[in-house]
Amino acid sequence: MKISITKKQYLGFASVVAMLILWQLLAMYFDSDVIVPSPGKTLITAIGLFNDPDFISVVGTTIIRGLAGFVISAFLGMLLGIIAGLSSGFNALLQPFLVTVRSVPVIALILLALIWFTPGSVPVFIALLTMFPFICTNVIDGIRSVDPDIIVMAKFYRISRSRIISEVYIPAIMPFIISGASSAMGIGWRAIIIGEVLSQPRYGIGTMMQAEQTFLNVDAVIAWTIIAVLISYCFEKVIRWSEHKIVTWRD
Amino acid sequence: MALKIDRLNKNYDEITLFRDFSISFTEGIITCILGPSGCGKTTLLNIIGGITRPGSGNMSGFEDKRMSYIFQDPRLLQWKTVRGNIEFVMNRNMTDRERHRESDRLIRLVELEGFAGYYPSQLSGGMRQRVSIARAFACHSDIILMDEPLKGLDIALKQNMIRSFTRIWKTDRRTVIFVSHDVEEAILLGEEIIVLSRPPVKIVAHENNNEPFESRRSGSAATERLKQILFSSLGQNG
Repeated sequence: MKISITKKQYLGFASVVAMLILWQLLAMYFDSDVIVPSPGKTLITAIGLFNDPDFISVVGTTIIRGLAGFVISAFLGMLLGIIAGLSSGFNALLQPFLVTVRSVPVIALILLALIWFTPGSVPVFIALLTMFPFICTNVIDGIRSVDPDIIVMAKFYRISRSRIISEVYIPAIMPFIISGASSAMGIGWRAIIIGEVLSQPRYGIGTMMQAEQTFLNVDAVIAWTIIAVLISYCFEKVIRWSEHKIVTWRD
Repeated sequence: MALKIDRLNKNYDEITLFRDFSISFTEGIITCILGPSGCGKTTLLNIIGGITRPGSGNMSGFEDKRMSYIFQDPRLLQWKTVRGNIEFVMNRNMTDRERHRESDRLIRLVELEGFAGYYPSQLSGGMRQRVSIARAFACHSDIILMDEPLKGLDIALKQNMIRSFTRIWKTDRRTVIFVSHDVEEAILLGEEIIVLSRPPVKIVAHENNNEPFESRRSGSAATERLKQILFSSLGQNG
C-alpha cells in the first residue's frame, strides 16, 4: 500500500516535469515572450507579484468572493437539499430550477449579472449560481441514500424529528456534501475569475489578468493563472483534509 | 393485564395472512412465536410494534407501552460509536454521566468491553448484533420485540448471542416477544413457545418451557419432549 502511494507521487511529479519541459520547448520554439514566455521568466514574474503592495488585496478579495459564494451556496444547498430530499413534492418544484441553473451558460449569467449587480458582487453571484446546484443535488442524493430501515429504527425508538435530522440525516449526507463541495469549488474558482475579468472590480485576480493581457504581458497572465491554480489546489486540500476529520467512521 | 390481540385481519399482496386471529402474551417473560418461513411472523411483530397497520382487529394492553426492537439486521448508525449507538435511544432527561454509566453497564453485559469507541464498520456481525441488543435494553421500554436476530449466525455465535441476551435480560426482566423459524432457537430462548401455521395463520401449539436457560442445551428428557412437540406441530403445516 505504502509503495503504491509513493509510486503515485512519483508519477505525479514526473507529469509536472513533463508539462514544464513541454512549456520550455514551446517557449524556445516561438522564441517570443509575447506569445509563450519561458517557465523561468514566468516564475520570476510570479515571485515579483508577491512584492506588489496590492497583492494581498487582490488575492484576498478573490478568496473572500469564493468563500462568500461557497458559504451562501452551501447553506442554501443544504437547506433546500434536505427539504427536497425529505419531500418529493418540494423536490418536484426544485428540480426544474436546478436543471435551468445548471444548463444556462455561465457567460449568459455573467452578462445578466453585469446589468443587475455592482462589479464586486458579480463574481459572488456567479460563484453562488455555479456552486449551489452541485451542493444541492449532492445533498438530495445523500438524503435519498439513507437506509429507510435506519429511519424505521429511529422512529421506533421515538427519536424526535430534529434529532433524526441532526444525528441521522446530516452525518449520513456529510460525505455527499464534501464531494459536492469539492466539485463546486473546482468549478466555482473558474467562474469567479471569469466574473472578475468581465466585471472588472477594483481588486481581483481576474481584474489583474485582464489588465496584464491588455498590455500583452503574457508572463504576468500566466503567473496570475498559476496563483489561481494554487488557490484552487489549496482549497481542494482543505476539503480533503476536513473530509478526513469529519468522516472518521468510514474504514 | 395481559397483552392481547383479538380478531386480527390482515392481507398482504392478495394473501390472507390473518383471518380472525387472536393471540395473547404473558408479561415479564420471553415468548417465542415459532412458525415456518413466510407465515407472517414478522408482519405480526410489526403490527404489535405499530410499524405495520393491521387490517382490522383489537389490541389491548399495548397502549402506552414503550417498545424496543431488535431487528434482523443490527441497524446501527455507521457514524456513531458503539457507545453512541447505545446512548442514541436513551432518555433525554438523563445526564451525560448517567447515560455514560448505563452504557458502560450494558456494554459489559454484552461482552464488548474495550469496544465502546469502535465504529460499526470495525466490528464483526455478531458484535454489531450485540450492540443492537444493548441498545434495546438502553431504551426504557416495557416490551422488547425481536425478529430472528440469530438468523444466519453460526452455532457458536448463536450461543454467544443467547448468552449475552439472557444475561442482560436477567438483570432487567422485560416482556420479550420474538419470532423464529428455528426450533433450537425457540427452545434456547423462549419460556412460552407459540407455534403458528402457514397463512391464514392459526395457533397450532402453545407450550411452556420450564427448563432454566443454563440446562436447555444439555437436552434433558423434558427438553427433548418439547422439541418433539414443536417439530411435529411445525411439520403438520410445514
